[in-house]
Amino acid sequence: MSKTILIADDSESIRELVEITLKSAGYNVLKSVDGVDALKHLNGQTIDLVITDLNMPALDGIALIKEIRARQDYSTLPILLLTTESQAAKKEEAKQAGATGWIVKPFAQEKLLAVIQKVIR
Amino acid sequence: MDKLKALFVTEALELIADLERVLLEFEKDLHNEESVQVIFRVMHTLKGSASMFGFDTLSALTHDLETVYDAIRDGKIIATLEILDITLKSVDHLKKVIHDPSLGNSDLLKKHHDLLTAIKKVAQLHHDEIGADYSIGKSFLATYYIYCKPSFSIFKNGTNPLFLIDDLVALGDALVLPRMDLLPDFNHMNPGECYTSFEVILVTDKPAAEISGVFIFVEDACEIIIEKISEANLLLHDSFVARMKGDHDLSVAPFGLEIVMRLAENATVTPEAKSVQFVATRVDSSSIRVASDKLDELMNLVSELVTSQARLSLLAEQHGLAELTNVSENMEKITRRLRDNAFNICLVPIESLVIRFQRLVRDLSKELKKEIDFVAEGTDTELDRSIIEKVTDPILHILRNCLDHGIESPEERVRQGKKKEGKINLKAFHSGTSVVIQIKDDGRGVDIEKVRQKAIAKGLIKKETLYSEQEIIDLIFSPGFSTADQITDVSGRGVGMDIVRRNIESIQGEVTLTSILGQGTTISIKLPLTLSIVDGMLVQIGDSKYILPLTAIDKCYEIEARRISSDLSQKHVFDGMLLPVFNLHQVFREKANEHGVIQIIKIAYEAFPIGITVDQVIGEYQAVMKPLGNMYHDQDEFSGATILGDGSVALVIDTDKLIKQLTAKVVENNVLVN
Repeated sequence: MSKTILIADDSESIRELVEITLKSAGYNVLKSVDGVDALKHLNGQTIDLVITDLNMPALDGIALIKEIRARQDYSTLPILLLTTESQAAKKEEAKQAGATGWIVKPFAQEKLLAVIQKVIR
Repeated sequence: MDKLKALFVTEALELIADLERVLLEFEKDLHNEESVQVIFRVMHTLKGSASMFGFDTLSALTHDLETVYDAIRDGKIIATLEILDITLKSVDHLKKVIHDPSLGNSDLLKKHHDLLTAIKKVAQLHHDEIGADYSIGKSFLATYYIYCKPSFSIFKNGTNPLFLIDDLVALGDALVLPRMDLLPDFNHMNPGECYTSFEVILVTDKPAAEISGVFIFVEDACEIIIEKISEANLLLHDSFVARMKGDHDLSVAPFGLEIVMRLAENATVTPEAKSVQFVATRVDSSSIRVASDKLDELMNLVSELVTSQARLSLLAEQHGLAELTNVSENMEKITRRLRDNAFNICLVPIESLVIRFQRLVRDLSKELKKEIDFVAEGTDTELDRSIIEKVTDPILHILRNCLDHGIESPEERVRQGKKKEGKINLKAFHSGTSVVIQIKDDGRGVDIEKVRQKAIAKGLIKKETLYSEQEIIDLIFSPGFSTADQITDVSGRGVGMDIVRRNIESIQGEVTLTSILGQGTTISIKLPLTLSIVDGMLVQIGDSKYILPLTAIDKCYEIEARRISSDLSQKHVFDGMLLPVFNLHQVFREKANEHGVIQIIKIAYEAFPIGITVDQVIGEYQAVMKPLGNMYHDQDEFSGATILGDGSVALVIDTDKLIKQLTAKVVENNVLVN
């Protein structure tokens, strides 16, 4: 069965781009426009990976990670940050919150897929 | 990728518009932390997407701005009007950069550097560590030819050659031509081998090393040629692109570098070749986005359908078959509903315009040192997309006039006992089948005597003749008229209002001005809801058919033909009232009907009704408007023409303009019979 990946990004073009990339690799994709929207998908259904932006209008990336980690069903769900931010301090903050990995925008599509493959096996 | 890029451009324009709106709010309260948050976030999103889609210049500038607002957010920098000013200027600049991300236009390039410097400067006043390295200006667009022939066995080491092509495409704009000439016939084909080769025309500002970098891991498994073939963007040359594309025959062998070089030389190089334009429409977040050309296509198809439907109705009528008539009538109902729906889809709220207006008022009031309270009402009023596009400039001009000439300086206002802030009110509302946009100020108003004197001095009117106030006010719309004592940068070159009127009339609109001296001026722009199809009444006059807009028609009367004289203007009694009647047979030089009955159509014209003569009222008709072309641009009594069911052409009469012309003619000849 193909794996399901949840994307959270407030930019439609980025969402589309990531979705196309993931779908081309055979993944199921769920899309959400911010953290609050993303949490709606975490309703018991199986999700294999979350890819989230850092800065979003309602509930930013780090707050989202904390929310996800607080839920028992999803406490081990891998979460990747996909962001333009590359500051070490932010990375550390995300790591503390429970992020699995960090991909800097702009990204190469194959690189994204390669990272995903490693994370969800 | 191109689709996504277009999506990005649309999204970016929306983000920029959002940014502008929030910045204008922020200006009112520089301590508003929430605004700073929003500004920062919008910039961040913009930066991220821009870098993803290769809009590096846009991304770099936004990055610097974002850093400033990040510092403001963290309390390291205090927000000042200066910073806001630079930000707004940058926003304007970004709107241009998005259509020319490589900064091919030298003015744009200079502006870009100026802004980067300015942003750095404001940031460095308080903060040292800002800025990235900018490679802008060092590299310029060039066109490369790339040939890539992967070895037959490339699949075996797990390489997908298409990724290479994707990477190439990501470097700029590209034309990719797969060549399949090596594909053997089916019996000899091995699906595990790669037979495809690629020719790519790539336009990029990246150095050649970056292009060869794409192939770094496959050098051994591919035959590669990379060559710069032009310093210009050859993809803008249709002839070159067409020649490269050929007729899409997959069996065509690669052109090879030599031939491509020759084609490149042949393509005439004009530096400012048509730049690719993206048209963006602002759409609610709860709706889906549709490319505007798809809408145009939909409207065209609906128009075609309406025309075909007319033919069907005519056939049904001619053949007198009850069943066919049934189907035809049903089809007509559906067509009408489809038409109305399609119209609705093309309507956009004028809200999208209002930000531009607010911005203009803000910038100008600063420049002119006037204090203005600008209020917009009814911004959810919808208009056809094409009308909105055409009405923007006239409104901007009116607002400029308002600010420059209408509203007095704060000192003068106080002296006159008015509030220090001038007020400009923009109101949009529906009125019948039209939309009215009203711009009202509480400024000094129009000095009628001054206008009269000026008009006499300019030879526009005669001193002896008496004119009504409205007639004098109308002179403001005459070419070359200006009452401003001084010509300023903002407006007042005297080429304004006549162009405003002409532009608005070109979309079948009307502009009127009323004013009270010392109290203010109101300018009303009346616009049709749509331009493409009108509900009309088909009538026969002599040998020709004409369409009258249904909205103009009040009532129809019958009269014996012999009672109609050959005079242009005459009077007849209907419903116990004396109705002035124009003999349209005379006007259009159509053969007069001397026997039987003539129909008089009563038209609602301004304050009083007017009758016009027609031979026969055929019935309601949905007229698909076709422009008349330049040959007929003097005939403004016709708003267009339409094709009838039998293939003949009917002219669509603009009743207001026709009657206005006729009235003027009658007054001129002094033949108005009492």
